[in-house]
Amino acid sequence: MRFGGEQPVRALRDITLQIPDGEFTAIVGPSGCGKSTLLRIVAGLLEPTEGTVSVRGKTPDQARRDVEFGFVFQSPVLFPWLRALGNVLLPDRILGDRNPAHGSNMDELARRLLAQLGLAGFEGHYPGQMSGGMRQRVALARALIYQPSTLLMDEPFGALDEFTRDRLNLQLVEVWSNSGTTVLFVTHSIQEAIYLADRVVVLSARPGRISRIAAVPFGRPRPLAIRYEPDFASLTGELRSLLEEDPDTTDGMVT
Amino acid sequence: MTAESPMRKGRPKWRTVVPAALLFFAALVVWEVIVRAFEVPAYILPSPTEILTELIAEGRSLTTDLGWTMLEAVLGFLAGSSAAFLAAVIFVHVPIVERAAFPWAIVLQTVPIVAIAPLLTIWFGFTLVPKVVIAAIICFFPVLVNTTRGLRSVSGEALELMSVLSARRSSIFWRLRIPSSLPYVFAGLRVAATLSVIGAIVAEFTGSDRGIGYVIVQAAYRIDTRLMFAGIALSSLGGILFFNIISWLEKAAIRWPDARMEDQ
Repeated sequence: MRFGGEQPVRALRDITLQIPDGEFTAIVGPSGCGKSTLLRIVAGLLEPTEGTVSVRGKTPDQARRDVEFGFVFQSPVLFPWLRALGNVLLPDRILGDRNPAHGSNMDELARRLLAQLGLAGFEGHYPGQMSGGMRQRVALARALIYQPSTLLMDEPFGALDEFTRDRLNLQLVEVWSNSGTTVLFVTHSIQEAIYLADRVVVLSARPGRISRIAAVPFGRPRPLAIRYEPDFASLTGELRSLLEEDPDTTDGMVT
Repeated sequence: MTAESPMRKGRPKWRTVVPAALLFFAALVVWEVIVRAFEVPAYILPSPTEILTELIAEGRSLTTDLGWTMLEAVLGFLAGSSAAFLAAVIFVHVPIVERAAFPWAIVLQTVPIVAIAPLLTIWFGFTLVPKVVIAAIICFFPVLVNTTRGLRSVSGEALELMSVLSARRSSIFWRLRIPSSLPYVFAGLRVAATLSVIGAIVAEFTGSDRGIGYVIVQAAYRIDTRLMFAGIALSSLGGILFFNIISWLEKAAIRWPDARMEDQ
């Protein structure tokens, strides 16, 4: 896989991955291992130089045009001139008839999503009046409003403090379990990956390769405290040692 | 970030206005005292009170002249800014046009306006046209540069978001680029507003029978320094007024609190 620029960088190689509908898959790896690139290839935002991706039988580009994807970025990417509610409704304004949920009461749906994410009463706030965690929740609601079949998340909580992050993890799992959406969640935190996902894909350093696909053995719902249990800790340690074997992965190792 | 800060923080008004007004009046008092103490002749430097007397005496005809100058400035501002906005929109969407035209926009910017003004007077006579054209030319560049930058101020992720929603180009333009550009556009317009008054006056210097520029040139021939100062004061007032109208429009258009899109 290569992309433009004067010196093409081989960001990924030999990625073979099958993701069942409705599954929560986390991708962990050191910084620069091509996690974000992988996500953008799946979303049809980047073309792979080699290989194919199939999303529910379609090419990524076709799937993108059919609005199969919700995308949550590392930063919230809210429009500062729209209030929280306006930001959540933005996809509906852009999609119009192409929004599968269009025609039903979108306003109502947007308010319900915001309430589920703990933002009831903040519908009229501008992004400039909200904290980082609140903005990222608005971004999540914006990605879910048109009920995409696949939710792609690119280190969405990486810039938040630990408490905010824990709360958002809980809310994300709750919203996801009500939606039936397939989630592909990129993070550099092994702990977060295991806590959230059904399966964790560990990528090695550049060019990113799959070094392990681990099924997470814990049932749901998972209390936050599960992260301190021995089984959880040993799985975390196991995946971490995979990353540490790699000589080039000394940076970007965050729990 | 930009040469002109796109948004300014709100502060209690009196805290910015009062110190500035005090300094202004203090300067006037010092001026008055110096002129009186050293008995400076009025044709060299009239005192503020003399200028004020002149302003009141000539008030009627000066206001008419200011009206003409402002009309020229505003028409030039509208023409120049709209042309610049359109050019910026084309630049952002068709990069080849930008590469072809932008160097010439810079050349146009470096041509001394004073040098073109007499030429335009030959072509269009003592009409409004040369003044409006000069004001338009002088407004063009700051609006072009700021608008181009504003339309490009959109983050890569915001464009990816639009792509994920497979938004049409028109959607991206109206829902993302235009609102993102507004703070930049207004920064350019504020500069253009003051420049347009300067442009109109410069054009009046070289060929006109009315307007503040005409008054100043005529007064200079007669070494009527008092009238010159009255003209200078009035034209500054016109520029300040225009600037404030644009600032007020900016506040009306940009109501959201400052938040860069990359903000966490």
